[in-house]
Amino acid sequence: MKFKKPRSLMQWIRRLSQIIFFVLFICLAWELHFLEEGESPESYKIFFHLDPLIFLLTFLSTWTIAGLSFLCLITVVATLLLGRVFCGWFCPFGAYHTFFSWLARKRNRKKESQSRTPAHRVKYFILFAMLGMSLFGGHWFGIFDPFSFFYRALSTSVFPAFHIAIEDTSNAIYNEDPKIFGFHLTSITEPIYQQFRTHISKISQKTFYTEGTIIAFTLILITGLNFVRPRFWCRYICPLGGFLGILSLKPILRLSNDENTCTNCRLCSKACPAGAQPEQRGNWLPTECFVCWDCIATCKSNSLSFQFQLPGKTKIKTGKIDYPRRTVLTAMATGIVGLLGFRVVPQAKQGQPFPDTLIRPPGSRVEREFLQHCIQCGACMRACPTNAIQPAGIEAGWEALWTPKLVPKIGYCLYSCNICGQVCPTQAIQPLSLEEKQKTKIGLATFDKSRCIPYSYGRECAVCEEHCPLSPKAIHLVEREVILRDGKITKIRQPEVDPNLCIGCGICEWSCVFQDRAAIRVTPANESRNSKNQPILTFEQDYYPTDSSNSSGSPYSF
Amino acid sequence: MKKKTRRQFIFETGLYAGALALQPVIGRAQDVQAPLDMVVCKWKGDPIPEEPTREIADKLTKKAIEAIGGLERFVKKGDVVWIKPNIAWDRTPEQAANTNPDLLRTLIELCFNAGAKTVKVGDNPCHDSKKTYITSGIGAVVKEAGAELVYVDRSRFKETEINGERLKKIPLYPEMIESDIILNVPIAKHHGEATVTLGMKNYMGVVENRRMFHQDLPTCIKDITAYMKPKITILDAIRVLTANGPTGGDLKDVKRLNIVAASVDIVALDTFGCEILNYDPNKIGTVKKGFEAGLGQMDYKNKLKYQEILV
Repeated sequence: MKFKKPRSLMQWIRRLSQIIFFVLFICLAWELHFLEEGESPESYKIFFHLDPLIFLLTFLSTWTIAGLSFLCLITVVATLLLGRVFCGWFCPFGAYHTFFSWLARKRNRKKESQSRTPAHRVKYFILFAMLGMSLFGGHWFGIFDPFSFFYRALSTSVFPAFHIAIEDTSNAIYNEDPKIFGFHLTSITEPIYQQFRTHISKISQKTFYTEGTIIAFTLILITGLNFVRPRFWCRYICPLGGFLGILSLKPILRLSNDENTCTNCRLCSKACPAGAQPEQRGNWLPTECFVCWDCIATCKSNSLSFQFQLPGKTKIKTGKIDYPRRTVLTAMATGIVGLLGFRVVPQAKQGQPFPDTLIRPPGSRVEREFLQHCIQCGACMRACPTNAIQPAGIEAGWEALWTPKLVPKIGYCLYSCNICGQVCPTQAIQPLSLEEKQKTKIGLATFDKSRCIPYSYGRECAVCEEHCPLSPKAIHLVEREVILRDGKITKIRQPEVDPNLCIGCGICEWSCVFQDRAAIRVTPANESRNSKNQPILTFEQDYYPTDSSNSSGSPYSF
Repeated sequence: MKKKTRRQFIFETGLYAGALALQPVIGRAQDVQAPLDMVVCKWKGDPIPEEPTREIADKLTKKAIEAIGGLERFVKKGDVVWIKPNIAWDRTPEQAANTNPDLLRTLIELCFNAGAKTVKVGDNPCHDSKKTYITSGIGAVVKEAGAELVYVDRSRFKETEINGERLKKIPLYPEMIESDIILNVPIAKHHGEATVTLGMKNYMGVVENRRMFHQDLPTCIKDITAYMKPKITILDAIRVLTANGPTGGDLKDVKRLNIVAASVDIVALDTFGCEILNYDPNKIGTVKKGFEAGLGQMDYKNKLKYQEILV
């Protein structure tokens, strides 16, 4: 029996670390949905705070620092010293790719050993394009950031799919009630399902997301690419990896390849998931290496080892980064041109309330500023207890792809909830106290009187009034005479909206009896964040003169 | 109508025969104890605290239940009891939009004392149930008292024929309908469309797809109540919401009456509820409809064994 070499111990420690952080990431994302009172949302943002690129790009585009995001200095220092340990040991998305690369190992093993290819430049290209963009006040970084990418995919597609799978399966069994030799299957499935519902699932209803399918597709695509090259995303696309690669140009921890014992078998090169060229002595690439110990564990002659070398006394030479300065400029120029491309649409016109369905969560900044902060991570979508916050498609402009918007038809903004602002890692949605949030207008409800039942069908209905959470209610009932078909006159109470009170929470639209197109609909009109979208003047109480002798004074007493 | 199995038939026949045989005994027992049909318990403690306390809710509930003959009159040993409070909105107990949690705690205790096997507490809230159960304070109380908190599962509602005047077939929650007894525990509140929401209106929480009921609320509510056949209703009027209901939210609209009422007659209880909220019961659609359909009496003071008790 052959014992494993002690060198592979580090490999196992790395795997353990990856598993821990992966599980932690998933649990934090899963648990985010509903916070008990007194529970701090800060711990849920920890991964985003440790991402230096989120810090850098939102800082460059807005010149502000959000929350505890300076924690990313830990990552920066660790990378300067040890290289891309973040990618190899910490990053949960990296762990995810490691797992799928392991699944694909047989397929990939047949391939020749891999050196660096020009495709490695792509991640630097994306990085510098984003930097160029953010210097001019915009970024599309959320689409490519690994944490945003993974978190968004989890919250808008993986978790909902998981929930649907469990609920629909148990419902199917419950409704069919199949028997195996007189034994009810439901007697097993029902207790499990009830436990899931009350203890594990944080949601009482299934959740649905408008762009969920497309986001799921991006995840499936990126996952599948692991079968083309191991850790495809990490080595070719991830801009955070590129950024950390630049930081790890001259690390203290270096891979040494002993020329006396090395047999040039190139096994290490085949094992390397990064294409970091461990077999080329003096040309090992610290900018690509994940410090994953795979090469050391495969080496049969024990030639490879990581060694600490103080700066200035380095004996081990490393390969240089393959990204000339001129290409940096090209990438940045591309980013700027791309930003201009984003800005040629009417949605980008400042203050323009377009499209009329774009209701941002309460506390959102002015649209331009909002887009500069938002990293499309989907934390607010996961946290929203009513499933109201949805990823926007391209209707709000490509720049706003997958940013949060409220769709009252799917869910409403709960009056006694301010979770979205609390969980936002970049404060694109500002954290509001409950009192502030309850005064923040996100839109205005308007009646479609051609559909509304008391207006067009001469019957009572006041579901919207019943649900209106304000006190006094923004929707009130006015009794009016209505002529019925047979000429009879009857008195019907018809609902009206008070624009001074309505905050646009959308529960009226959500609760309307018309399920296809509600008879009361919310648009972003009157939203607090956009002064150009406030069509209704606010009046004092005495605007409506009851006595004609009093009407001499100006009604515009505001 | 569902066909009876032979076993059920024999069991029921035996039950009726036994009841007939024992009738003199039971009749005498009734004479001795004479449980009331309806009881109103009001707190007279001096001085009355600003906010109703747990003690007030506890004593009022115990007295009301005792005066109506104890829960043993309704709950048999080994029964599965479903307590149906009003937990429709994500509001705190002080805002008086949901049933008082302290009252529920006492009621759960009484159920267990009466020999209930399981006590389930649940509603089909308008807001998200997880959040609503916590904010209303009811979730914590139910767990503390050892009852089962049920998060109603919207995919489990079953279309059930009720053959009412307006409603023929509605989605009902099987787990609730199949329990041995449902204790209806509403809170007295103002309601924009129906003017008041009391015992009968509380049955809106056992159905789904209830939005269109608002086009003829009184008849729909009467239909559901007639199907549910309430045995006992306990009205929480410790805090009542007098305006901007059913959601409320403004503490200025909350009145602290410190009243708990219980009745075997839901229409009578609702009539009383209208009176304490200062509305004429003859103008309230649900009460009138319920009375016309023969679900109960409006003139509770003369037609029922009724008593007001100061606690």
